[in-house]
Amino acid sequence: MPVLTGTAYVLVHAPDVLRHHGSTQVMEQLRDPASPHLARLGEHLRGYGAAMAYAPNQAFIGNLDLDTLRQIPRPWYDTSLADSRRFGPHGEIMPQEELYGLLKLADSFDLVSLEQDFSREVATLLAAHPDLPPALLERLGQGLPGDELATLVTAQANDEHAATGLYLGQRLVGCVRRAHEVDPNLAAHVMLENLTTKATAALAVFHLLKSSGAAPDDIDYLLECSEEACGDINQRGGGNFAKSIGEMTGLVKSTGSDVRGFCAGPVHALLQAGALVDSGAFRTVLVTAGGSVAKLGMNSKDHVAKGLPVLEDMLGAFAVLVTRDDGVNPVLRLDGLGKLDIGAGSSPQQVMKALVSDPLTRLGRKISDVDCFCAELQNPEITEPAGAGNVPEANVRMIAALAVMAGEIDRAAIPDFVAAHGLPGFAPTQGHIPSGVPALGHVRNRMLAGTMRSALLIGKGSLFLGRMTNLFDGLSMVIDQNPALALSARTSGHLSGPEDLPGRAHGAGVMRPAVPGSGQPFRVAVPLLGGEHGPAEVLAGALAAQAVLHDVEVVVIGPAVTATSLTLVAAATEEEGRVVLDRMLAEGQVQAAVAMHHCFPLGVSTVGLTATPARGKPLFVACTTGMSASQRVAAMVRNAVYGVSAAKTWGLADPTVGILNIEGARAVERHLKTLVAQGYPLTLARSGRAEAEALLRGNDVLGGVPDVLVCDSLTGNLLIKLLSAFTTGGGYESVGWGYGPGVGGEGPGIVNIISRASGAPVIDGAIRYAAAMVRGGLGQRTLDELARARAAGLDAVCAPQTGQPSAGPAPLAAPAKKIVTEQLPGIDVLELEEAQRTLWAAGVYAETGMGCVGPVLLLATEDLAQARRLLMEKKMLSV
Amino acid sequence: MDLQNQARSKELAEQFGKDNVVVLLGASEPDSASITAETLTLGDPTFAGPLAGVSLGLPVYHVLEPEIKAEIAPAVYEEQLAMMEMVMNVPKLAAEVAKMRVQVGN
Repeated sequence: MPVLTGTAYVLVHAPDVLRHHGSTQVMEQLRDPASPHLARLGEHLRGYGAAMAYAPNQAFIGNLDLDTLRQIPRPWYDTSLADSRRFGPHGEIMPQEELYGLLKLADSFDLVSLEQDFSREVATLLAAHPDLPPALLERLGQGLPGDELATLVTAQANDEHAATGLYLGQRLVGCVRRAHEVDPNLAAHVMLENLTTKATAALAVFHLLKSSGAAPDDIDYLLECSEEACGDINQRGGGNFAKSIGEMTGLVKSTGSDVRGFCAGPVHALLQAGALVDSGAFRTVLVTAGGSVAKLGMNSKDHVAKGLPVLEDMLGAFAVLVTRDDGVNPVLRLDGLGKLDIGAGSSPQQVMKALVSDPLTRLGRKISDVDCFCAELQNPEITEPAGAGNVPEANVRMIAALAVMAGEIDRAAIPDFVAAHGLPGFAPTQGHIPSGVPALGHVRNRMLAGTMRSALLIGKGSLFLGRMTNLFDGLSMVIDQNPALALSARTSGHLSGPEDLPGRAHGAGVMRPAVPGSGQPFRVAVPLLGGEHGPAEVLAGALAAQAVLHDVEVVVIGPAVTATSLTLVAAATEEEGRVVLDRMLAEGQVQAAVAMHHCFPLGVSTVGLTATPARGKPLFVACTTGMSASQRVAAMVRNAVYGVSAAKTWGLADPTVGILNIEGARAVERHLKTLVAQGYPLTLARSGRAEAEALLRGNDVLGGVPDVLVCDSLTGNLLIKLLSAFTTGGGYESVGWGYGPGVGGEGPGIVNIISRASGAPVIDGAIRYAAAMVRGGLGQRTLDELARARAAGLDAVCAPQTGQPSAGPAPLAAPAKKIVTEQLPGIDVLELEEAQRTLWAAGVYAETGMGCVGPVLLLATEDLAQARRLLMEKKMLSV
Repeated sequence: MDLQNQARSKELAEQFGKDNVVVLLGASEPDSASITAETLTLGDPTFAGPLAGVSLGLPVYHVLEPEIKAEIAPAVYEEQLAMMEMVMNVPKLAAEVAKMRVQVGN
């Protein structure tokens, strides 16, 4: 699943842009140049200091926690925050002067002209900006003499749209010219709007690069999701804001496109970013949107009429980064989407059901499972005087009402629900800007700090404004705390905030791994999905083991909905659970696992443990899956060593070893006796039958004669199934400790295998068996055991016998090592190594391994098709 | 009340006759419900739209008022409106709208 790696938010104070270019003012000016509203407007505009110290604005750039904002009594505009600052962890609040300079920096067609003196002033201001590259500032140029500028703007009166002025109060400091003489799509005011969108989005991107630590070359793709359209008369919304923003910010290794959807646009863009990353098309996708000039002062008439400051004096912009799962950052749940279908109804109830109930139901969650609903975060101080009420509160009230209808809460609990699960509105009413996205920075902080687990991002759009349809739009997405981080935060207890995370590290440093054999507490993970008796059966086994294991935390991996007292790491599918488990093992978050599937490399086999029927005596079966060597006899000799290692780790001081009388048994007996003669301490068992031989029969298995029974993996697998399920008729394995840990590998952690037919008692046993292997330090014991056997000549006895293809083919240098994630099954075990050599000779890197159903080659994804073709040519593979 | 909706209301009232038209509001804010009801009953108080000086005298109800609820099939009401009944200030909305009905004897 894709994750949210960074967020940035910027505001720009633009009171004179509001006065001269906000749509309400422009229309008023056209209707009535002597309008009383326009005459009074100036008295209601705020200075930069007041706008910067305005609590919702400080919250927008991350200087103020949303809980703290909620505590500040309204009206907020009456309270200047004492410790307000221009810059915050998420971005900044830029003054208008610098915006005009930024417009010039964004201007690729020499449409923006600044007055000479002002140009020098703004050059000094921008040079002091910590995040703007100096090379960009060269674009400011010299500027125009004031009288030339005045002529350009005055010409507007005679020649409509020639140039539109940029003001600081009464002072004309610049202008934006039209880009075409007659094309209305390139008129001066349109160019001002579009350049403002581009410039403010670029500012957010600069902040994002800084705060996320991403290098400009890391970004593969940009999605821009504002509500403006750039293009000429032949393609009014041709685009492409995204690439222009990427160019301005130096993202030279990226490309991009624009996404539109009114106020829901940002959520659509975030969904697309997540899908692009999840599909593997791109690794890093940046979503950004700039500010809207037209919406400045949109409700100013109401504000002026009610004697309030005109609070819509801020341009807003944001940028967020979506990358592959890093085990740390919040996860975008592409399986937790709510969409308002074209055929869906548009009553508020139908809309909220589609956006809230449907995605949660799909994830098996309740409405009250969501910690935070991020919907329409308009600042209520702006909307209430305009008659639109408190939008975020109304949205969460509707969600609370849904929870009442679903029987989750009482009607009387609605206000409590709103307070606990909602957010105060703090975003400027810039259309697309308030649509849930401003909360992502706060949500990400809390998830990294371990104080929030789940949020629902909701965007809504009023499509009728475009006059193409009366449909309403909406899109929502579940965002979860990263499951890997969720686990460490809940169990290590020392994550206090994002600053504890080592930069862009991948979860390292947040865990306290147990050293095997050290007596420290440790964790065993158990994936719940995949069993023939259902996840509840696996959970029952996990609970039974947890009840008696006091030095172990049993962690289950499965659907987030699973109700359990055990620590749960969410994984919606069996495959996802496998990925989560592998990562947790690799990162040392768990020290062992009990799983129905694991791909062990060649050289590793599993030592099962079962209770024999005659006396209930435990019997180690070496081995039950995997392949310790490619040659049968050598494999069985190694199995003996592995079996001894597991039995000693379990606690048997001197386990007896019996060889099952199957093909190759005599050779195995001869080799083991050679090893003993050469000093390897091994006690061979004697059959209980009259012959009292070292080779054991079926009767000896039932009687549990040896401690360790040596056989090949297929036979051992058959035996363990027989012995664990023979009392139940076969479908349910009820006896023993499962198929055992993989022995002989170097992989992280211990993985004990169970089967899909294993019942709770066997799963319980397997967890205890795995725990005993961690406590006893199986890995080190196996190394020691192998060292003793090698000292007595193990490698010589396991070498190919005379008469077989001599020393084998000449050694072949391996191609450069790659990460191998693909399995290619279907190759005969006897040809596995030859198949590997065939690929190596062709320059394809491959490793050998043992999958669930037989030997496999492990390959990098990009090599899979070529490998398949090469092996089919050699007739080693049939399909 | 926006000008387009004023125009449409006027047109429908003329087309079907004032006695054959009932207006249902869905507004969530009592203030806005009140102004809409006034516009459709007495005329546009801002004198800006087609209903300036035109008293249609239409009976106006809020969709969540008990009289209207009683007319809606319970299953439909549950599916489309029950949630908003919990969210909106129904008594206040109803009072604002009913005030206009009383004023013109509807």
